[in-house]
Amino acid sequence: MGMMLKAEGLRKSYGAVEAVKGIDFTVDEGEIFALIGPNGAGKTTTLRIVATLLTATAGTVTLLGHDLRKNPEKFRENISYLPEEAGAYRNLKGRDYLKFMANFYAATPADAAGFVRRAEDIAGLGDRLTSKVGTYSKGMVRKLLLGRALMTRPALAILDEPTSGLDVINSLEVREIIKRFAKEGISVLLSSHNMLEIEFLSDRVALIDKGRVLDSGTPAGLKEKYRAPNLENVFRSALR
Amino acid sequence: MKKFRNLFVKEVKELLSKQLIVSLLLMMAMFYFIGLMTRREAERAAAAQKIAVFDLDRSGLSGQMLAGLQGMNFKIEPMTAATTEAAVEAAKAGETNLLVVIPAGFGESVGRMEPKVVETYSFLRNFSIVGARTSAIVRAVLEAINKVLSDNFLKAKIPETAPEDIKSPIKSRDFIVIKSRMAEGSASAVTGFVTSQTVFIPVILMMIILYSSQMVISAIAMEKQNKTLETLLTVPIPRTSIVAAKMLASGFVGLVSAFIYMVGFRSYMGGFTGDIANAPGIGQVVQKLGLTLNANALIILGASLFFAILCALAMATILGVLAEDFRSAQSLIMPMLILIMIPYFVSMFADVKTMSLPVKLFILAIPFSHPFLAMQNIYLENYNAVALGVLYMAAFFGVMVFLAGRIFSTDRVLTMKLRWGKKKVVL
Ligand SMILES: Nc1ncnc2c1ncn2[C@@H]1O[C@H](COP(=O)(O)OP(=O)(O)O)[C@@H](O)[C@H]1O
Ligand SMILES: [Mg+2]
Repeated sequence: MGMMLKAEGLRKSYGAVEAVKGIDFTVDEGEIFALIGPNGAGKTTTLRIVATLLTATAGTVTLLGHDLRKNPEKFRENISYLPEEAGAYRNLKGRDYLKFMANFYAATPADAAGFVRRAEDIAGLGDRLTSKVGTYSKGMVRKLLLGRALMTRPALAILDEPTSGLDVINSLEVREIIKRFAKEGISVLLSSHNMLEIEFLSDRVALIDKGRVLDSGTPAGLKEKYRAPNLENVFRSALR
Repeated sequence: MKKFRNLFVKEVKELLSKQLIVSLLLMMAMFYFIGLMTRREAERAAAAQKIAVFDLDRSGLSGQMLAGLQGMNFKIEPMTAATTEAAVEAAKAGETNLLVVIPAGFGESVGRMEPKVVETYSFLRNFSIVGARTSAIVRAVLEAINKVLSDNFLKAKIPETAPEDIKSPIKSRDFIVIKSRMAEGSASAVTGFVTSQTVFIPVILMMIILYSSQMVISAIAMEKQNKTLETLLTVPIPRTSIVAAKMLASGFVGLVSAFIYMVGFRSYMGGFTGDIANAPGIGQVVQKLGLTLNANALIILGASLFFAILCALAMATILGVLAEDFRSAQSLIMPMLILIMIPYFVSMFADVKTMSLPVKLFILAIPFSHPFLAMQNIYLENYNAVALGVLYMAAFFGVMVFLAGRIFSTDRVLTMKLRWGKKKVVL
């Protein structure tokens, strides 16, 4: 497995507040890598840096050998980003939203149609794709957006809290979709504050608190290292 | 280009929501009906006025006087009653709003040149503008009576001279001068005509600027609230395209709304201005004075308007970025509103040329002042002033676009916000 993404010494300050204080991690090809930690740990900030939305105060990020600072355009061509608690344009129909987004990545109309078809397949919304996004439930919006994020088969999908706020069934469906696409070779960088569900979803995790990585590894490896029954207990032990 | 069109079409679709279309249609309908009503009232006012007359005199003179009134577009409805009180009661039950009572012995005493009191009773049935018209009618009736009587009298005493020449021994010819042009006419009629032709321009201007600004601010605030902006910013398109598509789409929708508004407003104003515009000969006077907008003037005015809209859109884009969600966006229109109200009122009630230098500079620094001033300057042939205004707005727009571009291509588009509580902009 080759390396997809490498982040080194990331730091980010908002004015006087330093939200990220030196974070390192790598994501391999086809791997699901999760940043886990409590609210305010700096997960969203880290993902936004990788997604080209924020400029790091210090540190470097490389994707497929491209440097983020030098070549953000190459990043944007190869990633897709699903923001935390995101919505879609409420006045657009579900399918029109997918078409709108597909047009930015597709070279030909046939490509765009292919993207939309894949997204429809992922979202599984059927007839509801012809109604306006404003009428969707939270779960439906999330699946639509997940379809949008994965339809172009990006090299790296960046998903911020992809299951937060969803009910059990919807969460399960979302996790299954992510797993399926990782198997097909898409690398996934995601974040979550729900440590239990992450155990079943990710290949490797980094435990983050107050802008620093406490530890990282496979869920099984970490549980063994800290002699803990689950990642929540691992996290508590790592804090000490 | 294809990607830009994709963005532009989406923005327009988002902006042309059902609410906007419905509210525009409602406004049109409202204007149309108010216009229809005022037109109908105006027609009724122009038609012959019915007045009830209770003639206790029944002399030759009172008959002559009533005939004179009839010749002046009054319709006489004679009352038959035993007493004045009964006549008032009867008229009150009827439809006329005015009763004139001619006393007994009227003809005889007027014949002796002794003024006699004529009583009028106005029945106020409502307090609208139409109701208030009754008092004007009373005055008109009395004037008419006096004119008929004095003319008759003068004709009898001095038959060789026309009564008109005795009553107004001097006549006047009135000329109006604007710069190098001169025409014969009444200044108040010309001013009235020009005002009626241009009164809608500042209103439309305000509407377009506020409409489009509100749209940009809301559109950006909505994108921030739904996090669609974050998604859009990670898509492989230049950030400048995102900004440009938003401004263009809002400008387009703003212009369309303004056009619809203007059509409605014209049909509404038609109800009021009909009689002024139709005053005889005013058209030629106005033409001779160069107060009609020719093609060149329209192009200059259009350019001024266009750049004002561009400035507004660019400013609104920056304001929109300050909004965190849809709710906070509503208050962000305030600065725009203030900046547009100042020139609006100044152009209505004051003359910038006579203001002190600091105030003048302040007014001229507001980009929206220039289209308001352009109108006056075009009439007065100050084309240089208009051109300078356009240049200033173009420069202002350039700076704003540069700023908006800077904001959109850095962190600030996501981290900039206005904290009203602390009154501090966090950059
Ligand atoms: N725009 C911002 N301005 C100032 N501080 C911020 C901003 N965004 C996040 N922060 C702060 O940075 C820290 C990390 O936030 P975040 O990355 O959102 O954490 P997480 O996603 O792990 O919950 C928090 O303390 C938060 O208050
Ligand atoms: Mg977060």
